[in-house]
Formats: sequence, C-alpha cells, structure tokens
Amino acid sequence: MSTDFITVVSGLPRSGTSLMMQMIHACGMEVVADGQRTADEDNPKGYLEFEAVKKLKEDSSWVADAGGKAVKAISMLLFDLPPTQHYRVIFMVRHMDEILASQKEMLKRRGTLNDRGPSDDDMRKFFQSHLDKVKSWLADQPNFKVLYVDYNAIMNGDDKGIRDVCEFLGPVVNIEAMTKAIDSGLYRNRKASA
Amino acid sequence: MFGNRSHKITIDNELYERLEKAAQVAGHASTEEFILHILETTAPASSSADSEEEVRKRLQGLGYLE
Repeated sequence: MSTDFITVVSGLPRSGTSLMMQMIHACGMEVVADGQRTADEDNPKGYLEFEAVKKLKEDSSWVADAGGKAVKAISMLLFDLPPTQHYRVIFMVRHMDEILASQKEMLKRRGTLNDRGPSDDDMRKFFQSHLDKVKSWLADQPNFKVLYVDYNAIMNGDDKGIRDVCEFLGPVVNIEAMTKAIDSGLYRNRKASA
Repeated sequence: MFGNRSHKITIDNELYERLEKAAQVAGHASTEEFILHILETTAPASSSADSEEEVRKRLQGLGYLE
C-alpha cells in the first residue's frame, strides 16, 4: 500500500463522510480513528473519527504517521493540515437541503439546536460561501489532489462515484467491497425530488 | 416599502468634520456620499466574517469542532 499520501475524507457534516470512510475501510484500508465517538442514531454504523483532528492547529504531529491511511476531516479543518504532507481528498457533495435537514436532526438529538440561530436560507448561504472558499483554497494547494464525490448519486445507485474513488486511490480499494458497504436504508432526510 | 426605508444615525461634530475633510481629499461630491462609500465597502467584509462564525458555531454544535 502506498504511503506516499494521506487519504482525507472531507465535506460538510452530514454529507456522507462517514459512509465514505466505511466504504474505504471495507476494502481493508486502514483508517485513523479512535472510536471515541461511538455509533448512535445519527450514524448507526459509527463515525470512524479521530478526536485529535479537531486540534490540528495545536498539534499535527500525528499526521506524519498517517501515510497510506484514511482520516476524516470536515472541510473547515482542511486548512489546518500541515503543508509538509501530500493528500488525496475525497470531498463529499450532497444536496444542501438534505445536509441542513440532517444537521437539524442531529442538533436536536444533541440538544444543541439554537432556535434563535440562522434560518435555513441563511445557513445555506453561509455554507455555500464556506464551500467556495475551501474549493478555491484546495485548487491552489500543490500537495492536495481532490476528488468530488456525489453522495446523492451513490445512494441512488449510480456507481460512477465509486469507480472514480477506485481510480483516485488505486488498487487499495475496489468497487465490490465499497458497494457492499452501502446501506441505502440509512439514506434519510432524502429530498423529495432526489 | 422596506427596501427603500432609510435610517438616520448621529455623528458627533468632531468626527463629522474629519469625515468632511477626508471626503474633500478623496474627491467625493459630498460628505454623505463619502460616508456611504465607506459603509458599503466595509459591510461585505463584516458579513463574510459573520458567515464564517455561523458556520463555526454550527460545526461546534454538531460536535465537529471544539
């Protein structure tokens, strides 16, 4: 397995990052995860997260040992990855209405939903602006390769995204194992027309 | 209608005189035009910062940021 680069699964929360981590893991690829955030109603198959990712700005020493492995880092944390490594970013894209609906459910369950917070329309604009900034920044980073993967298409049975991931990461992943890891029953907060 | 509503703000004399001089130096037709120019060019920057802050708060609420 190539240790030349670190695979980073990214995107907005609730855009399918956990699913992609599970799909990659199902192929036998090692993931950087500590099991601290356990499976729950929002992610019945688990999050596959690494708490130290949240503190990348303060301590990124562990990143040097992540070559050949996959780690999940939400889009805002990509800026904090040390420029000394090479990354292949699988950036999950999902319909914004579904992301917002799913986030709201999760906020409710966590008890952190702020009724006086921004409206969905405002949050949509804020996230879009954030995504524009991240994508623009990624395009300027010589040590990052990025693949944008359509979560909605995968959940609707289109395997193009999976084939793209296989080409992007090489023989360490395969279509069969990745496809088996998909549980369409977990495609909730589905937009009516999606 | 709301779109055409205007608002008044109070500026003390000392600040207004400074703005008046600055407007003349910058070649603006009036002090009011100069003040509006400053406000319009400053507002998008603060809006962008607010936007980023709201994203950060949402991510913290979801447990993805500390």
